Amino acid sequence: MAALATAVNILGMLFLAHAVYSAYEHSLLPSSSTPTAASYILPQALDPKVNLPLDITLETLFSVFLLCAGVVLSSPELKPIQWNVWAGRLERSKEAREIKEVGVGGGNPYAGLEERAGFLDIRAASRGFEEWRQQQDGGKIES
Amino acid sequence: MATNFLEGPTNTTPRQTLALSQNAKSFFTSQKGWSLPYPLSLFLNTESQEKWATYENIFLATLRTGDHDAAYLCLEELTDRFGKTNEHVVALQGIYQEATAKDTNELEEVMKRYDELLKDDPALFSVRKRRAALLKSVGRPVDAIGDLVSLVDASPTDAEAWAELADLYAQQGTYEQAIFCLEEVLLVTPNAWNMHARLAEVTYMSAQKMEGGEQLKALSESMRRFCRSIELCDDYLRGYLGLKITTGRLLTALDGAKKSQLTVSDPTTGDLAPPSLASVRKLNELATAKLGEIVRRGTAGEKGWDGYSAIELKAARDALDRDTLKIQR
Repeated sequence: MAALATAVNILGMLFLAHAVYSAYEHSLLPSSSTPTAASYILPQALDPKVNLPLDITLETLFSVFLLCAGVVLSSPELKPIQWNVWAGRLERSKEAREIKEVGVGGGNPYAGLEERAGFLDIRAASRGFEEWRQQQDGGKIES
Repeated sequence: MATNFLEGPTNTTPRQTLALSQNAKSFFTSQKGWSLPYPLSLFLNTESQEKWATYENIFLATLRTGDHDAAYLCLEELTDRFGKTNEHVVALQGIYQEATAKDTNELEEVMKRYDELLKDDPALFSVRKRRAALLKSVGRPVDAIGDLVSLVDASPTDAEAWAELADLYAQQGTYEQAIFCLEEVLLVTPNAWNMHARLAEVTYMSAQKMEGGEQLKALSESMRRFCRSIELCDDYLRGYLGLKITTGRLLTALDGAKKSQLTVSDPTTGDLAPPSLASVRKLNELATAKLGEIVRRGTAGEKGWDGYSAIELKAARDALDRDTLKIQR
C-alpha cells in the first residue's frame, strides 16, 4: 500500500510539473498573445485572459486529483476514536502499551486503581520479588 | 532489548523490576556528565520529566530487589531536586525507611514519624496513605480500614483510596462493604473497565455464600458487570473469563430456581429481574467462542495479540479444558 501511494504521489507530481511547464510554454507562443473573448461565466477581475488548450487544463486537474489520492493513501493508520476499540488494543498488544515519554502511552490508565502506587506495600513487594528470583534460580518458571 | 526506564516496576512484572535494578548503575553514570558554573548552567537543559520519572522507577525497583544503596542515591537526587517537604518525596522517604527497617521496632519508629508528620499537617494525603499501607503491611488490617475510612471521609473523590479500602474489606470477607467501595470507585471513574471486572469478581465471590433468590440476584448482577467491562474493552480476557464462569454458574442456578424468583423485579429499588435462560446460554456460548479465539491467537503470539499476561491465558485455557471435559462425560 505504501509503495502504491508513493508511486501515485510521484506520478501526480510529474504530471503537475509537466502541466505547469506546458502552460508556461504555451503562454510564450505568439498566437496566445491575441486577446481572448471575455468569459461570460467568470467576473471581469477573475478572468485569466489566456486561452489554454483543453488538454493542459485536464492534465492539471488530473495531476491534482492524483496528488490528493496519494496523500490520503500514504497517511498513517487512523487512531481509534471509539473507547472500546482503543481499550481493546491496549489490552491486546504490547506495542500499544509502550511508554515513549511521560504521559504518553502506557497501558490501561486505570491499572493504577489496582496497582495503587500510593499504598505500595514495599516489604511484601520485595518478598514477592525474592520468591520470584528463587523460582527463577530453581528453573521452575520459564517465561 | 533496551530497558524502558519509564515503565515502573509492578507486582506482575518482576522481569522489568530486575532490568531496571540492573541498569541503575549505567543510568547514574549517564546522568553525571560535566556541568558549567552557575549563570552559564542555565543554558544547559538537563531537566526533563523523563529523568525524574526514571529516578523514581529505579528507586522503587532497587528497593524491591534489595539494592538499598542505589535506592538511597535515587532518593538523594529526588530530595535535592524537589525539597524535603515535597509531599511525594516525603512518601518516598517513608517507603525507603519501611523497606530498610530490620525489625518491628524500626517499623514502629517509621509509624511514629508518620504520626508526627500528620500532627503538623493532617492534609498530607500521601503520608496518610503510607500510614494505612504500613498498618496493612504489619498485619493490622482493621486499623488500616479505620485509617482509610477517615481518609475517604476527608477526600471522597480519591478513587485509589476507595479501591484500597475495597480490597481490604474483601480480604476481611465483608463483601457488602467491598462492593459499596467499588461502586464509589466507579462513580469517580465510570469507564474503568478493570474496576467493572473487579466489582463483578467481588460480587461473584459474595454470591458463593448466598442461597436461592439472593444468590440468583448477585450472580446476575455479576454477569451484568462483566458484560459492561467487555462493552468498554474489546477482547477483554478477564471480562470474558468472568462472563464464562458466571454464566456457567447462573445456568445451574436458573435451572433449580423457582418460578417466583425468576420474575422478581423490584420497582422501588430498581432491581432487575434475573436474565432469561436463553440469553444466559447465548452469553455463555459467546464467551466460550471469544475465549477460544483469544487463547489461540494470544498463545501463538500473533501480531497485535501479544499483550495478554501468560497467567491469564493459562487460566482461560484451563477453564475451556474443564468445559470440554464436562461435555465429553
